[in-house]
Amino acid sequence: MALETLILDILSFFSIYAIMTISLNFEQGYTGLFNLGLYFPIIAGALIVGYLPGRLAMVFYNIDPTLDFSANNAVVLSLLKTRLQADPFFSVALLAITLAVVVVVCAILGYVTAHPALRLTEDYLALFMLSLAETLRVIGQQTDWMAGGAMGIGLIDLFWCIGPYAYYGRAALVIGSALAIFLIYQRLCASPLGRLLKSVRENSLTAECVGKDVSQVKKKVLAFSFAILGVGGALHAIDLGAVVAGDYTRVDFSFWPWLMMIVGGTGNNLGVLAGTFALVMMRRVMIVMKPFFTFLPFDVLWLEPILLAIMLALTLTFRPAGIVPERPLKIKNYMRRVLHIKLQTKEEPSKLLVGR
Amino acid sequence: MEGTQVQLQAENVSKRFGGFWAVRGVTLQVPKTTIVLLMGPNGSGKTTLINCISGVYAPDEGRVLFNGIDITARVPHEIVRMGLGRSFQIPGPFKRLTVAENLLVSSGNHPGEKFSSSLIKGKWKAYEQSLIEKMFRILDVIGLNEKSDTLAGELSGGQLKLLELGRLLMLDVKTMLLDEPVGGVNPVLAHSVLSYIRKIRDEFQTSFLVVEHRLDIVMKYVDLVYVLAKGNIVCFGSPDEVVKRKELYDVYLA
Amino acid sequence: MLLAPILITAIVSAFLLSLLAMGFTLQYVTLSIPNLAYATIAFASTYIALTMYLMHLSPYVGTPLAFLLGGLISLLLYKFVAFLRDRGTSLVGLMMSTLVFDLTIYGLMNIYAGYIAYAFKSYTYAFSLAEMDFSIGDVPGIVVVSAVTSISLVLLFHLLLVKTKFGTAMRAVMENYALAGVHGVDTEKILSVAWFFVGGVAGISGSFYPMWFYMDPWVGARMFISIFAACVVGGLRSIYGSLLGGFLVGASEIFVTFAFAGIFGVWIWSYRSVTAMVIAAFAIVMMPDGLAGFLKRLQMR
Repeated sequence: MALETLILDILSFFSIYAIMTISLNFEQGYTGLFNLGLYFPIIAGALIVGYLPGRLAMVFYNIDPTLDFSANNAVVLSLLKTRLQADPFFSVALLAITLAVVVVVCAILGYVTAHPALRLTEDYLALFMLSLAETLRVIGQQTDWMAGGAMGIGLIDLFWCIGPYAYYGRAALVIGSALAIFLIYQRLCASPLGRLLKSVRENSLTAECVGKDVSQVKKKVLAFSFAILGVGGALHAIDLGAVVAGDYTRVDFSFWPWLMMIVGGTGNNLGVLAGTFALVMMRRVMIVMKPFFTFLPFDVLWLEPILLAIMLALTLTFRPAGIVPERPLKIKNYMRRVLHIKLQTKEEPSKLLVGR
Repeated sequence: MEGTQVQLQAENVSKRFGGFWAVRGVTLQVPKTTIVLLMGPNGSGKTTLINCISGVYAPDEGRVLFNGIDITARVPHEIVRMGLGRSFQIPGPFKRLTVAENLLVSSGNHPGEKFSSSLIKGKWKAYEQSLIEKMFRILDVIGLNEKSDTLAGELSGGQLKLLELGRLLMLDVKTMLLDEPVGGVNPVLAHSVLSYIRKIRDEFQTSFLVVEHRLDIVMKYVDLVYVLAKGNIVCFGSPDEVVKRKELYDVYLA
Repeated sequence: MLLAPILITAIVSAFLLSLLAMGFTLQYVTLSIPNLAYATIAFASTYIALTMYLMHLSPYVGTPLAFLLGGLISLLLYKFVAFLRDRGTSLVGLMMSTLVFDLTIYGLMNIYAGYIAYAFKSYTYAFSLAEMDFSIGDVPGIVVVSAVTSISLVLLFHLLLVKTKFGTAMRAVMENYALAGVHGVDTEKILSVAWFFVGGVAGISGSFYPMWFYMDPWVGARMFISIFAACVVGGLRSIYGSLLGGFLVGASEIFVTFAFAGIFGVWIWSYRSVTAMVIAAFAIVMMPDGLAGFLKRLQMR
């Protein structure tokens, strides 16, 4: 039993981070948008999960309106639990509605953020995104009515309806979503859209001059990836069962994904996954090793950022391209793999195609 | 010249930087199915003029008409879609993309490049296939067949120029603004590229505005010549006429 | 002279932020990338002040140490980034490398806080040292200290830049790094010294912060927002612009938030950073070149 739980835990953790790093790769590795404030939509997603489902459920079940979901969190949760345990349909509906709202809100946030972001050069953009994200973190931490402010808030568990299997339900949701998201991103990146994004990354002026509306491309990329990142944040909160806005720090939800992407290899999704997996395992090992270090007069947790720093320094110095570097596309392979056109090695490609 | 015969027209275009007028009151016409040469000493404002026409700069005065439509200060990608393309003096390739990808990304309305339709391969497979066929043909023309899988960042200066031309050919534009298209290219290839330009002019009724310094090579391929000096048009006419004009020598020997 | 607390807060905030913003811009202009670890480096020195306090000394005693700490870390950072730059690392990679220091100091700072909490049996995660400040009449010492330090350092910097050989060399480096090198300027030495001093000044500014404000491990991240806002308002690559921007944002942050507190209630106070961000967003949209750009355009007319 313990091994099963351990594996599911690691997979869930990996899934959440995979969603974040692949979205980051879509923004930065493919399109060249230097988003250092990755946690902006992540926090937004978590806040929506903290705010919305609980209150919707309260309205649906006619719970005493003098009670506030935030302020009277424990009381409301116990009231809702008894009702939701017997109501799988509404639980699923709540989950679907919440995620839909997350996607829409975060997509809008992405689209709107793109407007000032478009005018900024890379370095300036990094500062802007970081400041924006940190501001939302401050807002989330200070505002009690959103998601419990500094104390955080407990969530209704949308898997209460399956009783003792709730844990497996959550894990299935997280891992399944990550898989679906990965497949979608892979599809997008393997299509001509991936090529378009890279051209914007390489030289946006030239891209303009071959007829690409670079501004629109960037807006759509941000809208899409923000929506996915929001889902990532929402899933993280659901998995945890709580939202503590202040815990979504720049280190855990921006710098770690950046390191995972850099170590793995930017510009290609498999590399990014490799990096994510390697670092997730590393963090897991550290958590396991924690009890052995209690003799230290401080919390071992604080060695993590230092370790992260060392890994980043080493990667930048010795292997800046990452574990799995971006490889150039060979046209014959592309034709075979994507278009299912097989070429004889001797025949010239152009001659073969002219016949079609 | 009749209005309907004119593909591209710059009317009284002026552009200044701070207190300095790079281009002043330039009026220029590129008739249909014609190759026009824009020449002049260094710093005369040729690239600035091209930038004003192609939407990279907004002119301070004057306007630009393409096919009778006012395109002044429109965004570059709109202008390209209307059929006016340009190449750069210092090529700006997509360095970490291969030559093939550089050409493939220079496509018109590719359904595979839209978020909605890119997820369903069926929607873009046919388009991509015909795009690849076109790409191979153009690789042939510009002589970069062997380099289709090479990263653009690894090409030589001359090869990059050819790539610039290749991208424009992919776009099927009606008029091309070429900023030093054969700069750094060996003479044999330069001649074949320029004769291919004439072929395109004849086959597709494309017009060209070419900025070039290598007059020894380019003169015999062009139909019309404009001479620009210190931001002003000094004279224009057929190559034979212009070569005899005194102003030409004043401008270069001043 | 009795000064209203709100006025004191605004003055101290304005002077400290102007110093911080100017230092940040100086590093930005000389290295062509923003130093993401800047705020963390500055605020690491608050723990020196805290240590002095816990040892029953005036926190101001720690100022030279704060200078040294900030300077040394800055210098190390510069060396590392320069090393990577010379190896051809991309812009993104260079910015990531400043993060290396941000993370290390972040970790070390919290470790140290944990350690002294253990050693001095005291709560170190949120503190203010205002009570240990001296007073001149009714005015808290920090007001005078921050104003005097800020003004004198800026004057010193200006004189250095304009009157000394070192300053001329530095201006050459800021204008055109490559060209300065060709002209025989020892660019490495100049930049090393510059970064050391800027880091030191940042350290001092940081160590003054808890003399009036409440300090916690998140102040660095929040101040980053304010520094960003200050630089945007001043003009991102303008040193004197950032100085002005820092002053304006530092003061407005306080006054605007205070005004809203009057309308909405005291809880608004923790939203200071939000005010800074709003100012920044406004500036990006309305005035992308900042005050410096605006003044330059006025000049050209």
